[in-house]
Amino acid sequence: MAANFRKTLTYAILIVWFLAVVLPLWWVFQNSLRSSQEIFRNPFGTPWLFTGAPPDVSPDAPVQAIRDNYFNAWVKSQFSSYFLNSLVVTAASLAGILAFSAMAAYVIARFPFRGNRAVFLYFISGMMVPAQLVLVPLFFEFTYLSRWGSRLLAPLGLEVQLHDTITGLVTIYIALSLPFTILVLTGFFKSLPGELREAGIMDGCGEYRVFWHVMLPLAKPGIVTAAIFNFLGIWNEYLFALVFVNSSDNKTLPLGLAAVSIQAQYKTDFGLMFAGLVIVMIPTLFVYLLLQRHLTRGITLGALKG
Amino acid sequence: MKRNRERSLFIVSFLAPAFILFTAFVAVPCVRALLYSLEKWDGFSEPKWVGYENFVLLFNESDIFLIALRHNLILIVAGATCITALSLFFAALLHRRVHGAGLFRVTFFFPNVISSVAISLLWVLLYSTTDFGVINGFLKWLAGGASQLRLPLQWLGRGDVTVDLPYPFVDSKHLIYAVIPMMVWAATGFYLVLFLAAMENIPETFYEAAVLDGASGVAQFFYITLPLIREVLTVGLVFLLIGCLKFFDPIWIMENQFPSKDSHVLATLLYQKVFSEYNVGYGSAVAVLLFVLVFLSTLITLRLSRREALEY
Repeated sequence: MAANFRKTLTYAILIVWFLAVVLPLWWVFQNSLRSSQEIFRNPFGTPWLFTGAPPDVSPDAPVQAIRDNYFNAWVKSQFSSYFLNSLVVTAASLAGILAFSAMAAYVIARFPFRGNRAVFLYFISGMMVPAQLVLVPLFFEFTYLSRWGSRLLAPLGLEVQLHDTITGLVTIYIALSLPFTILVLTGFFKSLPGELREAGIMDGCGEYRVFWHVMLPLAKPGIVTAAIFNFLGIWNEYLFALVFVNSSDNKTLPLGLAAVSIQAQYKTDFGLMFAGLVIVMIPTLFVYLLLQRHLTRGITLGALKG
Repeated sequence: MKRNRERSLFIVSFLAPAFILFTAFVAVPCVRALLYSLEKWDGFSEPKWVGYENFVLLFNESDIFLIALRHNLILIVAGATCITALSLFFAALLHRRVHGAGLFRVTFFFPNVISSVAISLLWVLLYSTTDFGVINGFLKWLAGGASQLRLPLQWLGRGDVTVDLPYPFVDSKHLIYAVIPMMVWAATGFYLVLFLAAMENIPETFYEAAVLDGASGVAQFFYITLPLIREVLTVGLVFLLIGCLKFFDPIWIMENQFPSKDSHVLATLLYQKVFSEYNVGYGSAVAVLLFVLVFLSTLITLRLSRREALEY
């Protein structure tokens, strides 16, 4: 009897939290399928798309609403451009982070050179640095670097611009993600059997080829885990994008969403706002559902290493 | 001899990219931040060395810094505590093999992968004083109809809000309290997964022995589970503390990018001082103190938990 009651209570609690998480998200999705007019009638109603339009509105209003919301968001409010920017920034950052971290981590894990430990600690100490500490100095450093870089490269007809460019943002994301990624990958490379490298060297492969063809493929699970964490962090990053990107052509999704929400507020266009929210939420939720096993394993691994 | 040179070249070439980027864009800026905090500078003209004057100003000039600091502490005391308790509770429930544990674990994690900007905007709508506001609606319903809604609504809804704009939802003064439920909603999933992973690593035999001794579920939790996941618990607490100290996005978004004196946290104060008021020294002083707080809280948490490591 008591056991039964406990069981019921357990499920009741879990289901309440389940609903608390899912219902708001479902509500956002539902309202992105409705016109502002429809939302104002009843913010919590089922979309007319599912129930059929009431007699006093035209029958194709529900479909029109979806077309309007997503067309307005994607084209007029430039979500297509924000999305593309986020994609480019995230992809470029991930490529840089993973390449540079894997190289450094491999050397730290596998080559006991003098100063090895010091180099490792130097990188890891970056994890104690809150991003806000480097925010302001980076802002001014970018000004100097752009000025001096442009002057240096002027003979080649090149110009360096780190402010308000995707290049600048990517540079920051790579640098700030190195400590965490190097930590994860060093642990991973250390756990790989060392004989493999020696066997490769014996077979006449150079160090570079051994790294590329033997060690890197073996480290794939660790790299995937690091990639997911960095993907989520960079795709959703707001503060640095806010400081370093101004022009609307270079904005990433979180910045664009924040800007559009203010627009939508003035125009009281809630359909647009909800469509924007959906466009921002879907990619990360999708990637998460696709790769959640790796992510959970990454957290587990991190937890056990402590 | 040649092999040795090749090896050194390999090591250097593999370390160089990460080393240069990290040095140029993390390490050097850290040092610069410390120097800026000792200068008076508007970002354009010649900087002036003022020693620790900026730090004195933080505490003396106005109470804005102390209010911001207090808000971060509120986040730690109320937010981090709730998140830890709730995620431990859920992890313990899921640890004891319930049906659909996987589904619950995956779903509870959802808010952690969503952009904090999106989450903030969603909660703005939930908190709204118009028909959108589920939370106010719920309180209204609890209070028993529209006639009596004044009392429970006052701490959430701003009085002077025009009814057709469900936006400036929350009184600035109370924003920090309104942010806490959102934070709990958004972060619990991650810590649940973290703690659950640690719990699943505890050998089953411990629980079997406890059951034989007649220990209740609650006793098992406090005498077996909790001590054995202490290291992971510490890591979780460090993450939470750092998160509360660095807190920025929700305040910034919920205040429409203009936090007032009443709603600042350290990070928003830093931003506003530097990028709106061009007071680089003052802003950097806030950043340096933020770093010191992160450093100290990490150190203290690690110290407190390192008393004895349990081997099993």
